[in-house]
Amino acid sequence: MRHFFKKAAGVVTAAALTAGAASADTVEFMNWLGAEETGKDTLAQMVASFDGEVDIQPYAWGDLPKNLFLRARSKTLPDVSQIQGRMLPTFASIGEMVDLNEVIGKEKLQEIFPASFLAMGDIDGKQLALPWIGGTIGWVANMEVLEAAGVAEIPTTVDEFKAALIAVRDNVPNSVPYALATKNNNSILLDYLIWSWTFGSDVIVDGKPMVNGPEGKATLAFLTELVQERMAAPEIDRPDSRRLFAQGASAFYLDAPVARTFARKFSGRDMEIDPAVKPIQGPVLNAGDTPQSIQWGHVIAIFGEENATPDSDAVKFVMHLLSDDVLVDYASNQGVLPTTKNGLASDAINGDAYLKDWAAASVAPRRNTIASLENGGEVAGIIGEEVQSAILGQKTPDQAADDMQARLEAAMAN
Amino acid sequence: MPTDLSQAADARTFRPSPHAKRGGLRAGQGRFGVMLLLPALIAFSLIVLSPFVQALGLSLYKYTISTPEPIFVGLANFKKLLADPTVRGSFVTTAVYVFFTTFFSITLGLAWAIILNEPFKGRNALRGISLLPWIMPATVSAFIFGWIFNSRYGVLNAVAMEFGFIEHPQAWLSTTSGAMTAIVMVKVWLSIPLFMSFFLAGLASMDREQIEAARVDGAGNYNVLKDHILPHLRPVILVVVVLGMIGNLQQFDSIYALTGGGPVRATSVLSVEVYRRAFEQWDIGMAATIGVLWVATILPPAYFYLRQLMKGAE
Repeated sequence: MRHFFKKAAGVVTAAALTAGAASADTVEFMNWLGAEETGKDTLAQMVASFDGEVDIQPYAWGDLPKNLFLRARSKTLPDVSQIQGRMLPTFASIGEMVDLNEVIGKEKLQEIFPASFLAMGDIDGKQLALPWIGGTIGWVANMEVLEAAGVAEIPTTVDEFKAALIAVRDNVPNSVPYALATKNNNSILLDYLIWSWTFGSDVIVDGKPMVNGPEGKATLAFLTELVQERMAAPEIDRPDSRRLFAQGASAFYLDAPVARTFARKFSGRDMEIDPAVKPIQGPVLNAGDTPQSIQWGHVIAIFGEENATPDSDAVKFVMHLLSDDVLVDYASNQGVLPTTKNGLASDAINGDAYLKDWAAASVAPRRNTIASLENGGEVAGIIGEEVQSAILGQKTPDQAADDMQARLEAAMAN
Repeated sequence: MPTDLSQAADARTFRPSPHAKRGGLRAGQGRFGVMLLLPALIAFSLIVLSPFVQALGLSLYKYTISTPEPIFVGLANFKKLLADPTVRGSFVTTAVYVFFTTFFSITLGLAWAIILNEPFKGRNALRGISLLPWIMPATVSAFIFGWIFNSRYGVLNAVAMEFGFIEHPQAWLSTTSGAMTAIVMVKVWLSIPLFMSFFLAGLASMDREQIEAARVDGAGNYNVLKDHILPHLRPVILVVVVLGMIGNLQQFDSIYALTGGGPVRATSVLSVEVYRRAFEQWDIGMAATIGVLWVATILPPAYFYLRQLMKGAE
């Protein structure tokens, strides 16, 4: 028996040492790219071309933040992680992120990235992440659906937009003319922000909620009308919107530039659907108003003091992901903008009409002001619930706006 | 010092072994019992007790993503939660959910057990098939029901439109009652086989001659059920009600997979609320506080169940 315990202890010790040795040489890369059908192969290629060992740790898009949170609490953070740009202020408070200004140098980073993209990873003067891919959350139209509905012109005002939706509803059977997000609070938030800005409501002003003014109430009344009049539908989340759009059952929805990649995948038509996928400027309340869109992007963060040197494998791996060839291949494959100056100037990106249209449609993208709040999750939950209660007819739009204001005031006062 | 000669002789003849432990055979049995219990106790302490004690401790702290170290706030979390109408709403939602799921699971489970207790051709095959929902993962069942109720492609809409009951597809899961009905249906569907098995076991020990005699005396189905079957199954029903309540209070996966706690907060039971606080709002302290209150709601039926078990053992 004693021999057995001795042997067992030996095996456990050896296993621990082996694992320790392996983890010292391997870069742990937490990401959602590897969990998506549209990105799995691309990521595998990017990793294969890196001169080093990488442990790809894929999580579903919605699961990655909570796993990162749990790993921070259990002090088992990975070396590198992909993070949604809007979530960076939240995760910055973990306190384990490497300041890349210190490691790579501020001047060098400014040489590589345009200031607008570099700002995505800047938290209080520290470069806690590097931008990977970027763009905006903006409008995309399905030209085939609009043609089938007899809509010849892209709508530019809210009235024209509504007229186009009615045409689609009446002429395209079983359609959801506008795949408005009506399920999942985080998805609802994006549509709500865009429409609030369109109607002139800023949602948060000087850190205080402003959602029950006339503009805020008009926003909720408009969204409610869309659902009640079957121009939009309940039970729609962003993944549903993408499928409806790709399958010719929806004319408009809000998404990042990856919209084209999803359309190719979910339509089963690959690049054949490209001419139908058109980035457009958002409808405005009055002609001359600024079309609304939201800043969007993915960033890469490095964790742990042991990785805070320029020659660490983690830093080398991140710079490999951001190198010209690798980044441009990835960005053009996903139909998104690369974040480096060289990448943006490349032929592959400049020659892509879709990306050019997307950039042209994004006139003045605004920050997602909710995501950067300390209790952004709670605030997004309140907004999502009150929007749902209005569009599902549980409350009048005015009552929902007043309740949203009261709940937000209470949440933001804490 | 023995005062009696016979005692002295006994002491010499039956002198305890030098290896004998203090306390004699009874104490040895006790120690053996503890040793047998030890693995289970260790597993229980590591897997159940330790996380619970930690959660209990965390409920007294402010612990969000922006606080790298927990900050002690005493009972402030409890005070805040009990003043929060949304959390009070979750208690009501949980009570509604537990009541309907327990009631329908037991009623339908009992009915199905009585049917399957009757002798007919193919009974054993049907008993086997009846266990399928229990074997199926809860999330898979939730997705199946999700597709049945789906507002665009759902079977329910297709059938209702085919028969002309509705003109346009309905979003069943977007109404408070529709979403609650759906999550209750999933849980009932999952629970019927288990409860049916309990009742079948109870019915197996029933004297059939007693029922036949009652029928000869003119008792109908209702009277047989009321006067013979239900009294016979009373102890089983008691245990099943308590177990059902505990299980339904703990339910999370099928609810979250089907409705995510929505629409708005219509199906946001306590388990979903804990998840939302922890992983959508990144507030571990509040999640732990709701968890503690949630455990408090489970304790009375659990105590009652254990008491019944102890009584049975005695």
